[in-house]
Amino acid sequence: MKKKLWAQDLKAIPFLLPFFIAYLVFTIFPIFKGLEMSLYDWTLIRKLEFVGLDNYQKMLGDPHFWKTLWNTTLFVILTTPAMLILSLVLALLANMKSKFTTFLRGSYFIPSILSVSVISFLAIFMLQPYNGLINTVLHTIGIEAEPFWMADKALAWLTIVIVTLWWSVGFNMILFLAGLQDIPESLYEASEIDGATGWEKFRYITLPQLRPIGKIILLLQILASYKVFAQILLITGGGPGGGTRPIIQYIYEVGFRQNNLGYAAAMSYALFFILLILSVIQLRNQKEER
Amino acid sequence: MKKWLTLLMTLVLVTIMLGACSEESSKGAKVPEGATEVVLWNLFGGGDADYFQEVVDKYNDSQTDIFVNNIMQENAEYYTKLLTSIGAGKGPDVAIAHTHVIPELVSQGLITELDSFTSNWEGFNQNILDATVYDGLHYAIPLDTHAQIMYINNKLVAEAGLLNDDGSIKMEETPEGFIDFFSILKEKLPKDKIPLAFSNNGSDPYWMWWAFYTQMGGEAILTDDIDNPKYALDLDKAIKAADYIKDLYQEHKVIPLNLADFYSDFQTGNAAAMSTGVWATGIWESTDGLDFTPIATPTIFEKEGAWGDSHTLVLPYYNKADQEVQKAAVEFMEFAADNGAIWAKAGHIPSKTTVIESDEFNKLPYRSNYAEVANYVNFADRTIYARGVQDIVIRNLDLLWAGDATAEDVFSTVEKEVKDLIGE
Repeated sequence: MKKKLWAQDLKAIPFLLPFFIAYLVFTIFPIFKGLEMSLYDWTLIRKLEFVGLDNYQKMLGDPHFWKTLWNTTLFVILTTPAMLILSLVLALLANMKSKFTTFLRGSYFIPSILSVSVISFLAIFMLQPYNGLINTVLHTIGIEAEPFWMADKALAWLTIVIVTLWWSVGFNMILFLAGLQDIPESLYEASEIDGATGWEKFRYITLPQLRPIGKIILLLQILASYKVFAQILLITGGGPGGGTRPIIQYIYEVGFRQNNLGYAAAMSYALFFILLILSVIQLRNQKEER
Repeated sequence: MKKWLTLLMTLVLVTIMLGACSEESSKGAKVPEGATEVVLWNLFGGGDADYFQEVVDKYNDSQTDIFVNNIMQENAEYYTKLLTSIGAGKGPDVAIAHTHVIPELVSQGLITELDSFTSNWEGFNQNILDATVYDGLHYAIPLDTHAQIMYINNKLVAEAGLLNDDGSIKMEETPEGFIDFFSILKEKLPKDKIPLAFSNNGSDPYWMWWAFYTQMGGEAILTDDIDNPKYALDLDKAIKAADYIKDLYQEHKVIPLNLADFYSDFQTGNAAAMSTGVWATGIWESTDGLDFTPIATPTIFEKEGAWGDSHTLVLPYYNKADQEVQKAAVEFMEFAADNGAIWAKAGHIPSKTTVIESDEFNKLPYRSNYAEVANYVNFADRTIYARGVQDIVIRNLDLLWAGDATAEDVFSTVEKEVKDLIGE
C-alpha cells in the first residue's frame, strides 16, 4: 500500500515542489500582503499607519472608483457577447472541410500571438485622423467626414472593442474548435438519416454539445475583460477625459503615480471580490446543470 | 553512446548559460581597474540619450579615478523604479530627476542634501537653482531648464507675408495679435498647410495653459508646502487662459483637432508653426531642408511666463552610503553642469549662466533665441503632489480642448479632485 502511494502520488512531489514554492511566493503571499496593505496608509516606499477600513470607506465615496468600475463593466458588456458569437462563427468556418481550413485557422489565430503593444500601435496607425488607413478609405469611397476614432468617447469605445475582439478572438476560436471536434460524428449521421436540415443540426446538436465549453469561455472572457488595462492605456490613455479609463488603470495611477499603495490595494480587493462572486455564480450554475 | 550524448548536451548548455551570465555582468560598461564606479540612472530617450552619453564619456575620458556607469532606464516607469529602488537600498549612486519630483524625493528622505559635499553654487541661473533648494539646503545640481517654446517655419511664414527682413515674425504681442498671426496664416497659406501644429490632449496644451495662466499673474495650483499644501488656483485667470486656448481650436480653428503626430506635421514642412519643449531644436536641426526659427512663447498677457521643468542630478540617500562614491558622484554632477554646452546640443537651456555666456554655447545656432526664458520660466508647485495634480489637470483640460466641457465645469472638477488628492 505504502509503495503504491509512493509510486502513484508522492513521487510527483519533487517535480511539483519548485512550482508550488514559486506559487506560494509570487501568488499566495502577495494576496495576503495586499490585504494587509489595504488596511494601512502605505506609500511606494514604506508602511505608514494602520487605518483599518478607511481605505474601503474612501473607495465607496470615490466617484472615480465607481466611474472606472462602470467603464470596465461596460467593456465586459460590449465585448463578451460579441466575443462568444464571433469566436463561434469563426470556429464553425475553420471547422468546415475545405482546402482553406489551415489558412483560416492560422489567420484567425495569428493576432492573438502578437503583443498588446503591437496590436495597439497597429490600431493607432490605422485609425489616426487625416491620413490613417481607415479614414483614407472612407474618403476614397466618398465619405468626407473625419472620424476621430480615439478622441470621441463612443468611437473610442468602438475602437477598443474591435481591437480587443480582433486580438483575442483567435484563442476562444481554438477552444470552440476543440469543442466542435469533440462532437461525435454519429450524432450528425443519425440526424441526417432522420432528414434534419443544416440549421436543425446546428440548433439541436452543435449548440447543445458546445454548451459546456461555451460556459467556460464565457467565464474566462468575463474575468479577462474585467482585467482590461494595457490596450486601453496604449490606445486612448483612458481618454477622452477619462471616458474609457478602466478600473485597473485607476488602481495603477493611484498606486504608482499618486504614491498611495494602500488605497490602490483596497480597490484591487474590491475588484477581486467582484470577480470571485461572478466566478462562484458561474461555477454553481454549471454544477446545477450537471 | 547515450551517456556521452547527455554529457555533451549538458556541457553545451552550461557553456551557453555561463556565456549569458558573463554577458549580463558586463552589461553597461567595463569599469577600468582601480577606478571608483558611480552608477548613474537616466530616463532619456531619442536624441537626448546620445548627448547625455557624450557628457558622461567626456567625464570618463577626463580622468582615471572615477568611472560613471550611465544606465538608461525606461522612461514611463522611471520614477516608480527610482523611488522603490532607493527605498529598498538598491538604487543608483546618482540619478536624473525632474525638478517637479524633487519634493517627493526630499519628503520621503530618498535624497541627500548636497551642501555637505560642495559649496560651489556660483554661476547657476538663480531661477533654476532656487527650484532645487528646500529649507535652505541644496538637494540637486540642475543641468538645464527645458521650457515650452514655439517654432516657426520661415518659408511658410514668409509666404504669408508675416516675416520681417531680420527674420523676426510680424506678431503684435497681445492676445488679439497672437490670434491674428495664426488667422492670417490660415487665410493666406494653401488649405493643406497647418497654421499651428499642436496637440489637443496631453502635456503640450496643459503647458501652454500654464504659460498663459502665469502670464496673467496666476502663480500656482497649490501653495508651496511640501507635504501639506492648500488649493490655491486663481479661478478667473485659470478659466480665462483655458478659454483663450480652447478658442484657438474651436472658434478660430487655427489648430486642427486630433493631429496624429504634430511633430511630423512640422518636420515635413506642412505646418507654419508648432509649440513644444526646447528639446525639439536638436531634432529640427538634423532635419534636411527644414528652415525654422525657435522663439520663446510670446508674452501676450501682462507679464513674462512660460512652462518649464528642469533636469537635475540628485544623490540618493542610503543608510550605509559609501562616502567615496558619493564624493565622486558630486564631482561628476558639477562636471555635467559645467559642460552644459554639450547637453545644450539637444536644445536644452544650460543651468549655468557661465555656460550660456561661453563661446561653446554661443556657437550653437538658435539657442540664444530662447535662452532668456530660463530667467522667468515658472516651475510646477513645490509639493509632493505635483505629479498627481498634473495628471488631474491634464485629463480634465482634454475635455475642454475637444469641446466636450466648459472651462467652468473643468475647473470645478479639478478643484474637487485635487482637494481630494491632497486631503483638504
